[in-house]
Amino acid sequence: MDWMLFAAGFFAVLGALCALVRHVQILQQSSYYPSRYSGWLRTAFGANAVFSLFVMAILIALLFLSPLACLIAAAISLPFRLIRAVKLQKSAIKKLVVTARVKRLFLAVAIFLAIFLALAAWLDSKILYAVLYAVCFAQPLLTLCGWGLTLPIEKAIARHYKNDAKQILREHKDLTVIGVTGSYGKTSTKFILARLLEEGFNVVATPESFNTPMGVVRTVREKLRPQTQIFICEMGAKNVGDIREICEIADPSIGIITSVGPQHLETFGSIEQVAKTKFELADWVLGKNGSAFVNGDNEIIRQRTMAPGFQRYGTDATFPYYAANIRYHAGGSAFDLILDGERVPVETKLLGMHNVLNITAAAAVAHTLGIEADAIRYAVSQLTATPHRLELKRFLAGSTLIDDAYNANPEGCLEAVRVLGAFDGMKKVIVTPGLVELGEKEYEANYALGLAAAKVCDTIILVGQKRSVPLADAIKTTPFPAEALHIVDRFADAMEVLTELADLKTVILFENDLPDNYAG
Amino acid sequence: MKTNLAVFFGCRSVEHEVSIISAVQAMHQINRDKYNIIPVYVKKSGELVTGKVLFDMDRYRDLPSLLKETRPLSIFRRGDQVILSIEKSGLFAKPEEIPLDIAFPIVHGTNCEDGTIQGYLSFLGVPYIGCNVAASAVGMDKAVFKAVMRQAGLPVLDCVTFRSRAYFADKAAICHRLESEIGFPLIIKPVNLGSSVGISKVHTAAELDDAISLACSFSETILAERAVEQIREINCAVLGDADRCEASVLEEPFMQDEILSYENKYLSSSSKSKGMASLGRKIPAELPDDKTAEIQSLACAAFQAMGANGVARIDFILDKATGQVYLNEINTIPGSLAFYLWEASGLSYPALIDRLVELAFRRQRVRETLLFAIDTNLLSGATGFGAKGTKGAKGGSTRT
Repeated sequence: MDWMLFAAGFFAVLGALCALVRHVQILQQSSYYPSRYSGWLRTAFGANAVFSLFVMAILIALLFLSPLACLIAAAISLPFRLIRAVKLQKSAIKKLVVTARVKRLFLAVAIFLAIFLALAAWLDSKILYAVLYAVCFAQPLLTLCGWGLTLPIEKAIARHYKNDAKQILREHKDLTVIGVTGSYGKTSTKFILARLLEEGFNVVATPESFNTPMGVVRTVREKLRPQTQIFICEMGAKNVGDIREICEIADPSIGIITSVGPQHLETFGSIEQVAKTKFELADWVLGKNGSAFVNGDNEIIRQRTMAPGFQRYGTDATFPYYAANIRYHAGGSAFDLILDGERVPVETKLLGMHNVLNITAAAAVAHTLGIEADAIRYAVSQLTATPHRLELKRFLAGSTLIDDAYNANPEGCLEAVRVLGAFDGMKKVIVTPGLVELGEKEYEANYALGLAAAKVCDTIILVGQKRSVPLADAIKTTPFPAEALHIVDRFADAMEVLTELADLKTVILFENDLPDNYAG
Repeated sequence: MKTNLAVFFGCRSVEHEVSIISAVQAMHQINRDKYNIIPVYVKKSGELVTGKVLFDMDRYRDLPSLLKETRPLSIFRRGDQVILSIEKSGLFAKPEEIPLDIAFPIVHGTNCEDGTIQGYLSFLGVPYIGCNVAASAVGMDKAVFKAVMRQAGLPVLDCVTFRSRAYFADKAAICHRLESEIGFPLIIKPVNLGSSVGISKVHTAAELDDAISLACSFSETILAERAVEQIREINCAVLGDADRCEASVLEEPFMQDEILSYENKYLSSSSKSKGMASLGRKIPAELPDDKTAEIQSLACAAFQAMGANGVARIDFILDKATGQVYLNEINTIPGSLAFYLWEASGLSYPALIDRLVELAFRRQRVRETLLFAIDTNLLSGATGFGAKGTKGAKGGSTRT
């Protein structure tokens, strides 16, 4: 046995493990989907890979020429790989989180390489050593190998957690489980519903936008307590059967379907498939004599819910739960909730038709579960907007600001303009650079936004001469007065215009992609 | 899975033993199908211990032998959980950890009932039964309680308060003030105790010194108020929170002495160690319906005015001569949790505890929906601390 070659191999293995950190980080951030990880590989494959191949070639060549030189080269490469790994982690925005799964993956790769090394040393085979070096410089291969080796264990562990969560839920006799799904609006509806139900119950909801089976399992195992009375479970889907899978774990008796729309069409194939998947929740709850609350304003949902058993909500007075008399003002929105015949006038800081519908859905369920009208009214008044999402603020000279700076969705932008238009008797101003990153639809979407803005606004400020061309094109086709259209270069210039015109009777809409800290 | 409920009792208080009686009684009434009860006995030294033996009332007669069967315990927060960590003997034994869902302080008197233990539990962030810090503190200080009630427009007897140091510096001045402002007979009380400890009725100036000296051994602030000559004591329990509450039936304790003293309340009764429940009393108190209703609505108003929570017993003085009712004091953790008043009102002891737990979780939910901390770090963008201090930053530098 050649000790020098063994030592060189040992250094190569250590170096390989260092270089693996970056790849496992990406794999982790790809939610352990090899397809998403290889997507990253395609974009990142470049100079680094060529350099790695070069070092690998030198090591393999030295292996056959001089074992000592090979050892020295391997030893020198190790600190470089270590330093690079540390540097990459330090500069990464989202670093590798050392979870038990990551440890298991590293252990698997380490054992795999150790066996390889031991075999090469035992057989004293230069060919095997050469293959080992090759492997040690092929991080994608090692990453996928670690992923594959640990997959059965990970699956078994996931199954164990899943069964554990199921058992916790089944043993919890007095728990009411509510599922919330929909192409959009499900996260907001979940949070609003949780706030309303907190008026009378101990509520646990899946956090943030956790909406996968494992997200639900984790919430059940970590957050559910014996005193929990209601569990609200957001259910997301990318494929047919996804919602059913979550239902099998959570076993909801109440369901809310907020919308069916063309989201994730690339995996679903058709809108029919989307609707079918969302309705897996309704099938589940109706199958156990529960209640399915569905947004009757949504055209696709409306067609599917003629059958009895569905509780429709929306803005139609034929629905058992609907919102009417919707107004917007400087303090937010006001409307009447009609809950199974009972009229409950409410006020909220939230804006937009989608929020009215989300509140109506939540109030319908809260009402069914026995939350009193006064409590619903109070809780609705306490709801707060997500930052930069149609968020109402006080602004310059007592004016009203609708901050919708994080909105990048064409339909959402048009809704924001509609909200602006509903501020009767106020001077209406929009500040926007337009929409970006929409591909071929970009010109069309901006053109539509320009037309909508011209219809409702008194003043339009476009930020960015080049970016805002489609908007300006659209506005120029309308009778909108040219002197009320300002096209400026920078946001600071827009602020100057606003300082001139803002007063108590002004409402300003910031739409999409504006600097983060403009309005302290 | 059961809700982990820790009952805190004992404490460094003159009412240590009363607390043990109330707590052991309560622990036997809590529904064990729903709750996993962890007794947390706070020794007179302030140490926390736990153990099964603490459920057994008879074992408290021999405290050293009882304590041998208990284990020390500590409480801390980890992530969003509050952990009870119970020490285990043995070189490598790990402490047993129990996530705490709710705390139930059944403590009486200063150093605990006065907001001290409530502050500790609030700081840990664990839901707990009963009043919050402010209401507990108000309830414990008789002078502050009267001030708050007066502010709310509720009837209390006029009083004079003075510091014990001021009394010993110039006894004659204080005596003169009491004589002129209140007159005899009057009642002397330390401001901060329940269970009638240190309270005396004074008929003449000659008795004043003894009474004040006694009170001074319990508190630095002394309260004097007019003694109602033809007195009836009426108590009423209230259950709920500042938004919604209800009053129990009324009770009238039998007066054996002129004032219901500590011995009378807890020690002299024929059946030992049964607490407030066994005291001589009339339930419901014999009063006309309108008087009963008046006292019940005053009790609820007082409860809400001080922002109380859970169950409290409010003690009234009824002047037989005039028919006037005065709020006397509040017990934010009443002896035996005033369960006997709720049983008489149709609410069983276990059901009372369920209601208390519900109220505690409700308050915690409200606390959590209020904004306590801004998630973003205001210091993250700040530069140039130092010589100029932070005044400028405080002024409003968020507008950039």
